[in-house]
Amino acid sequence: MAADLNELRTMIEAALPGAKVEVVDEGGGDHLRAIVAAPQFEGRSRLEQHRLVKAAVKERFDDGTIHALSVRTSLPD
Amino acid sequence: MAANPELRQQLEQAIDQNPVLLLMKGTPDAPRCGFSMRTVGILEQVGVEYGAIDVLPVLQPLRDVTAEISDWQTFPQLYVNGELVGGCDIVEEMFESGELSELLGVEQPATPPRSGDGSVGGGEDPEGPHQSPPMQIET
Repeated sequence: MAADLNELRTMIEAALPGAKVEVVDEGGGDHLRAIVAAPQFEGRSRLEQHRLVKAAVKERFDDGTIHALSVRTSLPD
Repeated sequence: MAANPELRQQLEQAIDQNPVLLLMKGTPDAPRCGFSMRTVGILEQVGVEYGAIDVLPVLQPLRDVTAEISDWQTFPQLYVNGELVGGCDIVEEMFESGELSELLGVEQPATPPRSGDGSVGGGEDPEGPHQSPPMQIET
């Protein structure tokens, strides 16, 4: 089952209010990339930033919709 | 799910004993996943000695262990001096910025790889790869 990119974006936005989120398909519908700029990242390590993003879409990992999610995090401009 | 205590102990021991440890899918010579391959490529470019564990034979039990000890469930995972650094994305980002070389106490290689092309530097490493033999964790 291919992942719903919009749903994933909404899930990340809901977990990180105010974040600028882009989710793109890198092939096959289950290898995705999320580019997230969120104010919540301030003062957090990269590892913690990635944990926040992955936690937001954990349900879709658990149900097998996504197998791989590349994450690129930054602070908002 | 609660992690297998024996496996957890084995992994913690491996992390203790290897200043640089990569948990990966496959082996450095035969990676079984593009992300693991990219991470191996970076370590070889940096030229650091590292231990490698193939997670595939014990994938789910190891996920449960790393979820407990590092709050991280995907592979590859790079540990340096007992601490999780991150997966492929973080390792790549830190390599490009020079932070990884700094963390590992080595000089930044002259030509970083292009991001995301899966190449390991075109075989131009004059010193050859530095790596310890792959380890296997058995249950």
